[in-house]
Amino acid sequence: MRELKLLLLFFGIFLSQLIHAQTRISGKVVDIKTNAPIGGATVSVKNNTNISTATAEDGTFSLNAPANSKLIISFVGFKSLEIPASAAALPIQLSPGETTLNEVVVVGYGTSLRRDITGSVAKVAARDINNTPVTSFESAIQGRASGVLVQQQNGKLGQGINIRIRGASSVSAGNEPLYVVDGVPLITDNLSSNDAPTNALADLNINDIESVEILKDASSAAIYGSRASNGVVIITTKKGKAGASKVEFSYFTGTQNPTRKREFLNAQQYVDFFEQAAVGRGKIDFLNDPTAFANVQEAIDARKAVVESRFTRYSAGTDDWKTGKVNTNWQDQAFQKAPISQYDINITGGNEKTKVYASGQYLDQKGILIKNAYKRYSARLNMDHQLKDWLTVGMNMNFARSENNRLSDDDQFSTPLQVIALAPITPLIDPRTGLLSGSLDLATGSPNANYPTYYNPLLSADNSSYKTLVNRTIGNVYGNVNITKGLTFRSEFGIDQLIQTEKVYYGRLTARNTGVPNGLGSYRTTQVFDLNTNNYFHYNSTFNDLHNLDLVGGMSFQKQTNQFSRADAQDFPSDAYQDLSSGATKIEATTSTTENTLLSYFLRANYKFNDKYLVALSGRADGSSRFGVNNRYGFFPAASVGWILTKEHFLENTKWLSFLKVKASYGLTGNQNIPDFASLSLFTGKGGYGGVAGQKPAQLGNPDLKWETTEGVDLGLEASVFQNRVSVEFDVYKRNTRDLLLNVEIPGTSGFSTQFRNKGNLNNKGIELAVNTTNVASKNFRWTSMLNFSANRNKITNLGGQVIGTSVNKAMEGQPLGIFVAKEFAGADPANGDALYYKNTLKDGVRDRTTTNDVNQAEDVIIGNPNPKFIYGFGNTVTYNGFDLDVLLQGVYGSQIYFGGGQYMSASGSNGYDNQTVDQLKAWKNPGDVTNVPEARLGLANGTDPSSRYISTGSYMRVKSITLGYNLPARFAGRIKMDRLRVYVKAMNLFTITKYGGWDPEVNADYQASNINQNVDFYSAPQVKSIVFGLNVRL
Amino acid sequence: MRNNIVKLLILSSLIITSCSKELNTKPTTAISEAEALKTSSDVNAALVGAYTDFGASYFFGGRIFLEADLLGDNNEIDWEGTYQQLTQMHNKAIPVENTFVANSWLAGYTAINDANNVLSAVSIVDTTARDRVQGEAKFLRSASFFELVKMYAKDWNDGNPANNPGVPLVLTPTREITSESQVKRNTVAEVYQQVITDLTDAEAKLPAANGFFATKGAAAAMLARVYLQQGDYNNALLAADRSIKESVTVDGNPVELAGTFAAAFGEKNTPEDIFAVQVTNSSGIQGFNEFYSSAQRGDVLILDTHLNMYQPNDDRKNLFYTLSGSTYSGKFEQLYGNVHTIRLAEMLLVRAECNFRLGSSVGDSPLNDINKIRTRAKLTPLSEGQLTLNEILKERRLELAFEGFRLDDVKRLKENVGNLPWNSPKLIFPIPAREIRANPNLTQNEGY
Repeated sequence: MRELKLLLLFFGIFLSQLIHAQTRISGKVVDIKTNAPIGGATVSVKNNTNISTATAEDGTFSLNAPANSKLIISFVGFKSLEIPASAAALPIQLSPGETTLNEVVVVGYGTSLRRDITGSVAKVAARDINNTPVTSFESAIQGRASGVLVQQQNGKLGQGINIRIRGASSVSAGNEPLYVVDGVPLITDNLSSNDAPTNALADLNINDIESVEILKDASSAAIYGSRASNGVVIITTKKGKAGASKVEFSYFTGTQNPTRKREFLNAQQYVDFFEQAAVGRGKIDFLNDPTAFANVQEAIDARKAVVESRFTRYSAGTDDWKTGKVNTNWQDQAFQKAPISQYDINITGGNEKTKVYASGQYLDQKGILIKNAYKRYSARLNMDHQLKDWLTVGMNMNFARSENNRLSDDDQFSTPLQVIALAPITPLIDPRTGLLSGSLDLATGSPNANYPTYYNPLLSADNSSYKTLVNRTIGNVYGNVNITKGLTFRSEFGIDQLIQTEKVYYGRLTARNTGVPNGLGSYRTTQVFDLNTNNYFHYNSTFNDLHNLDLVGGMSFQKQTNQFSRADAQDFPSDAYQDLSSGATKIEATTSTTENTLLSYFLRANYKFNDKYLVALSGRADGSSRFGVNNRYGFFPAASVGWILTKEHFLENTKWLSFLKVKASYGLTGNQNIPDFASLSLFTGKGGYGGVAGQKPAQLGNPDLKWETTEGVDLGLEASVFQNRVSVEFDVYKRNTRDLLLNVEIPGTSGFSTQFRNKGNLNNKGIELAVNTTNVASKNFRWTSMLNFSANRNKITNLGGQVIGTSVNKAMEGQPLGIFVAKEFAGADPANGDALYYKNTLKDGVRDRTTTNDVNQAEDVIIGNPNPKFIYGFGNTVTYNGFDLDVLLQGVYGSQIYFGGGQYMSASGSNGYDNQTVDQLKAWKNPGDVTNVPEARLGLANGTDPSSRYISTGSYMRVKSITLGYNLPARFAGRIKMDRLRVYVKAMNLFTITKYGGWDPEVNADYQASNINQNVDFYSAPQVKSIVFGLNVRL
Repeated sequence: MRNNIVKLLILSSLIITSCSKELNTKPTTAISEAEALKTSSDVNAALVGAYTDFGASYFFGGRIFLEADLLGDNNEIDWEGTYQQLTQMHNKAIPVENTFVANSWLAGYTAINDANNVLSAVSIVDTTARDRVQGEAKFLRSASFFELVKMYAKDWNDGNPANNPGVPLVLTPTREITSESQVKRNTVAEVYQQVITDLTDAEAKLPAANGFFATKGAAAAMLARVYLQQGDYNNALLAADRSIKESVTVDGNPVELAGTFAAAFGEKNTPEDIFAVQVTNSSGIQGFNEFYSSAQRGDVLILDTHLNMYQPNDDRKNLFYTLSGSTYSGKFEQLYGNVHTIRLAEMLLVRAECNFRLGSSVGDSPLNDINKIRTRAKLTPLSEGQLTLNEILKERRLELAFEGFRLDDVKRLKENVGNLPWNSPKLIFPIPAREIRANPNLTQNEGY
């Protein structure tokens, strides 16, 4: 890298020889209808976003730009306009009407007008997402872009959010898109050291975002080549503008609640039901060993005696269970009051030469689950400076610090929602000690070992902590040189540095959970340093006013280093000491480093003839350190064409049709999202035994490992009718992924269980529709609607005959990724209450539909699909005078959820003493009963094996967000010396319609979520319903 | 101007090409296979690493023994755990997808591959250490195969072992996956033969004293277990006798019964340990402690049916303890306690049983051996007339309870587990479903 720096330095000196003329351009922007000046409109130079200014109140502006460049003038509520700089002397007339066709869209290494785009790009603008009361920006774009599935795993703060753009393209490699902020590829690695992933994107301040562009098809994404298979999300932050400086202050505050709750047995129901479970168990005890009992009643009585002694234990040693005196609603104890507040300030300003955007934010959020809390401080400075008339330099710098008080993953006894397993007959406070149940066993002087039913997770709230602190710096500096007419060179040097510390302490009262009696502490650090440079030329020229050529070509290099350390200690003098220095026994000391590099060359050519015919070609070659030496480089070409039919004579006079474009694209994109050294056969030194150093084989490599490639085809249509009142965008696509980077199951007799290989194919095909309408546009009343609809079908076509997956979700040939595979449940046997399963054994192509009570006699079959049939968003915005109302509905249809927690909490009392959901009261009791709940048989797993018993619909429609705002009229705002004053109330996830009986249908158990493992509900926290009141002031 | 552009292009292409060697990144926490086994001490380090995998929690670290006891239990314990995989074992209804079944299999073959790596590189080991290294590796490999064949195949005495499928014998280290990696199951007899060959060789090559690593006495003890399972009392007797005489402790002293029964289950190595898996606070979970101790998951509750088998003054009964009405075994209370894999008490019981069955007194009389056990348990010694085979087997059952012997004994003594006969397919693990998917050459066990 040293050579690189030297070269850059030398390069700068060299460039100073290149002199090159710029002209001062002035003009005035007016409304075409009224001729009134338009203040605050943005004037920028096409293909050079660094040069821009805002018009003054009288509509005038001036800026330095190459004489032959083109200017783009845009203002909210008006159509953007593109004019040659030479035409600026005349009044620039903007016509009203909001049309997306002329909006500027950020694409890879450049920008484009929407009308010129031949690929498929979705855009979400600042106004749609700013001031959304969510932790991370992905939650704010949910339902706002077609083809983008956003799923938050659960209601814990700052944790995993899965994004799938046009379906999943990989089985074992990453399926998350590439995120690029102002040219810097973001670290999105999950750095959590427990099994629940954290979300590195939560470090971004949503209010800094100017726009989010989602590159969906191969031709728009191929310029990001090797990492574009899952789409690319380009985030552009706000920039300064020349003109009067503005200060904006935003604040909101409100409360959050779980979207839904579940219903569990109360004390009386619990006692009755487990008595019933004792009877069911006793009957089987007798059957299994008739010699041990005189008759069946004796076996039942023996079991009842056991159960009743348990009741007494769980009633804190009292007989209260007989009277129903104690009836604890444990679920309520898992939740807490959850306020949220956010403070924002930003400043924009500058002059023609220097423009600045600066912002600061403080977010203070409590989670809905006890103990969960998140705080984020962030600051940003974006600055551009025109150093010479041929040279612009600038920087974007973002610092964020977040503090997350985290919880255990969904699979732990200590996660708050597992508290629902406790018996309702157990008092919250143990009367014997006056302490929270489970704190103290007077007989031993230690926390109770078997009271209550399980470890009480409420003990973790006060006696443990898991604090994740992240300091993040994302930024870049750049220079942009105008070399000659139409030719520029841009060099960017960016970093994304993430320093995370996790400080964990489990106090004495958590001993039943940790197994460690005298405190357990852990301190873990992760440092990720991602260095990145982009260097590319851009050339744009129009010949004979007919041919427009736009070329981008260059290279990029990226190097990511991860350093990890961890130390654990136990035996602390008291819980007051939580630093490892106080732990008497040090039990863990680990450090590790890993690294990867990516070197890429790219080229893109866009050709436009007569504003009518569009052609784009691009190619990118990538070399990745992750692959075997033999197959290190991959090449990712793409091509696309577009035809604007409304420019043709035969449509020119069709009044109702304002715009019509057809487009087609084809291209290859890649995926390299696998562990850094997956191609190498490795030994690890982590083989010490009894204090003696040792080594052992760790990984079976594959020197032939290469890129996973996705071939994408997209056909699209964009139309605008009735004077742009209605605009429609429709796409059909197919994406074929080959050479899947597959973590292949290999014979365990080899001493290894899996190996990365390029094996298999899958495809996604689908349609997307986006409609924007302006329903009413009168002087004081305006009503617009937005609808997006996407249907994706995912299918694995070849896995070499393998079935991959360790839980109910599987990857298998001929099926979509993550399909649910288990036994088909056939209800309870009316004769005896046995859980029945359809055998489903295949004979001569026909499935045997007889039933069996032996789960091993039943074949595994497909019982459901976690992938939705379609997803949609429907938004309406109404403005009336100063009022505005925005309602967004968002939904998922046709997916299924597997209720993984059912084996414990909806187990017809046939597992442990876990409290049950009320629907289990329908359990079989007497011969002839027809029910889907088998007989309650304590501990005998009657019907708890994975089966379609636990499948249910995952479809839902929810009121994702509602905002009602009021803008003080300008004349009043002006009187109190304000540019703008807005108050609003905003609600997220206010209302959900679903047939799912669980907590929330948007769910993915955090401890096991993966490409394959989707839509499993396992004590997963429901999503957050929030209502905030906000204020927005601009001076 | 044109000149400048050319210069610029040349320069930028320099920038562009300067990074390609940056693509060669190397891991720091792991090293390549070729670098790993270069010297004698490298091979020795790989041998130590093999113990780590051998002692993994799913294997000799404890879980596989818990699994055997859950399968072999008939109402002596209650299983209250939330791991469905173990519930299924206790209910004798194991689906082929049971992940504990898969993980114990994988852990076993990981240890075997480790041992094979050592054995393949034994030629570069210093001649002074070569026999020891070879002996230890063979001990680990054969003990692993023995454990696997018992859990995943029919018992030796169940039909004809020369026809019954055992587990695949893999005797060379894996360097790549080829069609040859899709191994077939060897017969039960072939697996036993390999185990006996390995252990015999190990016993010959191992030193008498070897710290906490495998010793000559440990190999003999393992051999005694194998012969006993086959019902070959002659050889079991001889091997047990050699083990009793030759085994030394970590300190190099001859093994002896620990002063009290409780002392045999101490945290560290005890005077009674013929072989113990070393567990430290940095090696992770101890598989017995995890499930038996009330301070951990406390999932195994001991029922009166078991407790009633002890005589009132039996000191071994005092190791059980009761909390809020539930009784727990106290054998595994140490969070990072070693796994006392082979105790001298076991070998005395083997020798006593074999001597009794054969009417011999090799080493010592069966009465004396049993009374050593009884005296330590603070029971009155038996008289000659009181000694029966049942008495010996009962002593064995109580002495070794919950240490992973029950299922093996049910099978070799042809007892029942509730309604299930000793040779019921339900008392044998299935071959893991993942294994059959990855290797179609493997046949599934009867009943799955």
